[in-house]
Amino acid sequence: MYADTIEKELRKQGIKTGDRIKVEYSGVTIEGELMPKTGVGSPDTIIVKLKSGYNIGINFVGTRVTKIAESEGPIKFPAAKLKQDQDLPKISLIITGGTIVNKIDYRTGGVYPLIKPEELFHDVPELSKIARIAMKNPFSMASEDLSYSEWKTLAEEVVRELGSGSRGVVIAMGTDTMHYTASALSFMLQNLNAPVVITGAQRSGDRGSSDAFMNLICSAHIAAKSDIAEVGICMHKSSSDNECQFLRGTKARKMHSTRRDAFRPINDTPIAYVNKEGGIKYNGQYKKISGNSKTTAKTKFEGMVALIKTYPGSDPAVIDFYLKRGYKGIIIEGTGMGHTPVTPSKKEMSWIGPIGEAIKKGVVVGMTTQTLYGRVNSNVYTNLRKISELGVVYCEDMLPETAYVKLGWLLGNYDANEAKERLNKNIAGEISSRTELGEFLV
Amino acid sequence: MHDEEYYKSIGFMCGLELHQRLATAHKLFCDCPTNIIAAKDGSRNSLSRQQRAIAGELGTIDVSAGFEAERGRTFIYNVVGGKSCLVEIDEEPPHEINKEAMRTALAFAKALKMKTVDEIQPMRKGVVDGSDPSAFQRSAMIAFDGHIDVNGNRVEIPSIFLEEESCRAEAIHSHEVVYNVEMLGVPLVEIDTWPYIRSPKEAKEIALQIGTMMRISGRVQRGIGSVRQDVNVSIKGGSRIEMKGLQEIDYVDMYIDNEVKRQQELLKIRDELLKRGASVGAAADLTSIFRGTKVKLISGHEGKDGVVYGFKLSGFAGLLGREVSPKRRLGTEISDYAKSAGVGGLLHSDEDLKGYGFSGKETDEVEKKLGVGRGDSFIVIAGSAGNVANAIKFAMERAKYALIGVPPETRGVIGDNTYTTRFLRPLPGGSRMYPETDVKTFVITKQMLADADSLAPDIDAEERRLMAQLKDRNLARRMMLSTRLQTYKGLAESSAEPAFIANVLLQKMTELRRAGFDVDAIGDERLEELFSAYEKKKITKQAVEEVLKALSKRDQKVGEIIGQNKLQRITGSALKRLVEDAKKKVQGREQVIKEVMSKHRLNVDGAELNGILK
Repeated sequence: MYADTIEKELRKQGIKTGDRIKVEYSGVTIEGELMPKTGVGSPDTIIVKLKSGYNIGINFVGTRVTKIAESEGPIKFPAAKLKQDQDLPKISLIITGGTIVNKIDYRTGGVYPLIKPEELFHDVPELSKIARIAMKNPFSMASEDLSYSEWKTLAEEVVRELGSGSRGVVIAMGTDTMHYTASALSFMLQNLNAPVVITGAQRSGDRGSSDAFMNLICSAHIAAKSDIAEVGICMHKSSSDNECQFLRGTKARKMHSTRRDAFRPINDTPIAYVNKEGGIKYNGQYKKISGNSKTTAKTKFEGMVALIKTYPGSDPAVIDFYLKRGYKGIIIEGTGMGHTPVTPSKKEMSWIGPIGEAIKKGVVVGMTTQTLYGRVNSNVYTNLRKISELGVVYCEDMLPETAYVKLGWLLGNYDANEAKERLNKNIAGEISSRTELGEFLV
Repeated sequence: MHDEEYYKSIGFMCGLELHQRLATAHKLFCDCPTNIIAAKDGSRNSLSRQQRAIAGELGTIDVSAGFEAERGRTFIYNVVGGKSCLVEIDEEPPHEINKEAMRTALAFAKALKMKTVDEIQPMRKGVVDGSDPSAFQRSAMIAFDGHIDVNGNRVEIPSIFLEEESCRAEAIHSHEVVYNVEMLGVPLVEIDTWPYIRSPKEAKEIALQIGTMMRISGRVQRGIGSVRQDVNVSIKGGSRIEMKGLQEIDYVDMYIDNEVKRQQELLKIRDELLKRGASVGAAADLTSIFRGTKVKLISGHEGKDGVVYGFKLSGFAGLLGREVSPKRRLGTEISDYAKSAGVGGLLHSDEDLKGYGFSGKETDEVEKKLGVGRGDSFIVIAGSAGNVANAIKFAMERAKYALIGVPPETRGVIGDNTYTTRFLRPLPGGSRMYPETDVKTFVITKQMLADADSLAPDIDAEERRLMAQLKDRNLARRMMLSTRLQTYKGLAESSAEPAFIANVLLQKMTELRRAGFDVDAIGDERLEELFSAYEKKKITKQAVEEVLKALSKRDQKVGEIIGQNKLQRITGSALKRLVEDAKKKVQGREQVIKEVMSKHRLNVDGAELNGILK
């Protein structure tokens, strides 16, 4: 908001943001609405929205500001009447925040989450022709703030929704950590017998060009129609608005900070492609819906797990730090096939000692690769053997982020020995025994 | 054209929005080049996008946005690496605002005696036609409350904006528009006037004067498309019409006058319709009537989803064919609405339907089905079912508006030398604007204002400079207003004969343009070569025109043109030899000059020849 002095002066005159005001100084008179300050720019200016719609900043000192009229209050977003077709399949839409549900108040520039079904159906009327939709909003958080306690809430929410008659679930969330959430749900949901589709947007829905609309429509199609019984991410396939792709939750990763086709399959190909009209093209192997098995959730999670990265000159003392803090698991994002510095010129920079120490103390240590693509290997080079002989678990072609989530989940539900045993065995599609030529840079 | 009194009497309202591209190195919100001709092409890609109408400021969908959304068009963006990056195609947030562009805008604000804002907040302004992949244009108000004196009259300038250039449409199809992204994001300054311009002539003069102010700064782009005007026009009883993208400043007055006449004609038609008690009937399916028809415009659509619909216009007889502006009738105006839904056009009963292949039976059956009687007209539209549904709806809405008067519209230029415009979309309601939250606001410092003061273009000082150089008030004034001013300044710098250069640029090139030579295609580099050849006495004044003619046909080095066309100047001893040879053939000074010039008109300088013969 405004600097204290300005705030005080405005309050004295009974002026608050949104009010119509008159600003006068040296022969100039400006009328407009007082806008909130976004925290950047000069502390000395007030922002006024002119009748033309433009906002301008005026130095407060030396002006005379008077109130003309009270604020008209926040704008009312348009809503569509809820007409749910009882013949359509029922799905659930769990909204948790993020760009996909952000709406902007044109008057103030403030951002609000869209959580009313009638507003959503106004903006994306196609949804009401795809399915009957039950909307849930367990929390509204940015994805960078999410952690295992929210993953747990989501898993429980999915179980509840599937238990109450939904044939599929769509989760709308922020994209930054979407692939962590996808992995977590992949491990937490047991006997999953329905599509769980996670989606988001890279451009907010207040602009006509937003990717949110197509992502939501395509996700609803997968949830309402597909026979996929997996957790996956459904976002744009390319920069065009032609098609979305459904990616296995444990094999997907955000590979671009801003593009709408940021999510790519790693060491995998998409499970399916889907377009706005509802056409689904299945592409690879996937687990299908079968029988009437009931989905349950195993949501315990050990939070004392770290994900660390080695690099030239990286200091292994970071492991000591985690040991002192009482961590129970460490996933290393090594170089190449799973290296850490072993015999560097400065002896104290070798990771061999600290890793060995950690394992001796019962910490589970897993090795993945920062190349993301490809498989780690503990045999090819002497140094690899030295690391693996310490007892480090080489995690095959599992993504580092997936391995981090998996180890937390394993340590939450099993003892350390069993967790270690299961870390490099496939549970939810996170490890494949063979990698095909066409699974690179897809 | 009429005088100001006349325009006052008809309630003429007119305002200008001038847009000028700036010659910065980079675009407004990214580091892509603005000189796209010089930029090297990278990889080519094509994107296909869709946009939808988003509720605006008042929580309702704007009429123009809704109209576009109903058309449901796909937008194809052709992207060339080297000229565009992720920012333009809505795949990366904008970078910081271009400070050089900001400097120029502030300098213009100072030249227009405006009050600058203290903190600039870039806004997002809704764009509905796909010409921006983000569905909005970034625009920032820089200053307000200024003025400029035009022919002794003070014209108030309420605002100046810094904004992004939009995409250029390469092809417009019924359900798809193909855009070229390369110019998108080039900095643009928009300068507005209040709608109090008193006549079309004054509008043109104001546009010229402001254009000149920007041009003499040397900080703006030149060439086709680099400057354009949006003109708002209305008359009493009519409506505000925004004519978009007028590029030829010389004809701004003609466009305005034609728009005035169009509104007057539409009002006359309205009065006539009201007198007749006219109305628009309901739409009816006429498909079965036209089975196996010989009407080419209809038979082309016969097939699985081809349909023919029509509606009655009672009391409209004769008025659909009434001309409202040169070569355009009320029927054309309605047809443009139908076309915007993707159909090829419409047929109406004020036209020679027999000429289109209508059989007497078809006309009879249509009239019967629609209930068309004496004094009534009808409209028929054929096409695919989806297109016709919208086309009929849009055409009926427009036809109904004929009973109200002039529909508020955004109109675009028709490039057929009639100086008329056609319907593009309904005029947007309130501006759909909200802050561009992806970039920081920008605080204007005292230092920036001092810098702007020193950069502010000064028209009077420029005119004095030109006057000193050209020694001719009229020539100096014309040169200053010319779009070739910067070219002239570059050439005149090292020239002993600036007046000759000015005359060639103003007089000679205008003559050649009128004679059909494409002199506007000639680049500055070639003009430099040309005048340098002249200064070095390689060619004569007469040959300059010949070189210009050759250059307007094909871009080529001037040296080559001189060689190929044998335009080398004959001078010094070579000329003396020619004179000696001529003296052997003819007697007397006049006869010798005639003899030499008859054979070497383009190669011999008259003054030099005179000197030899003295």
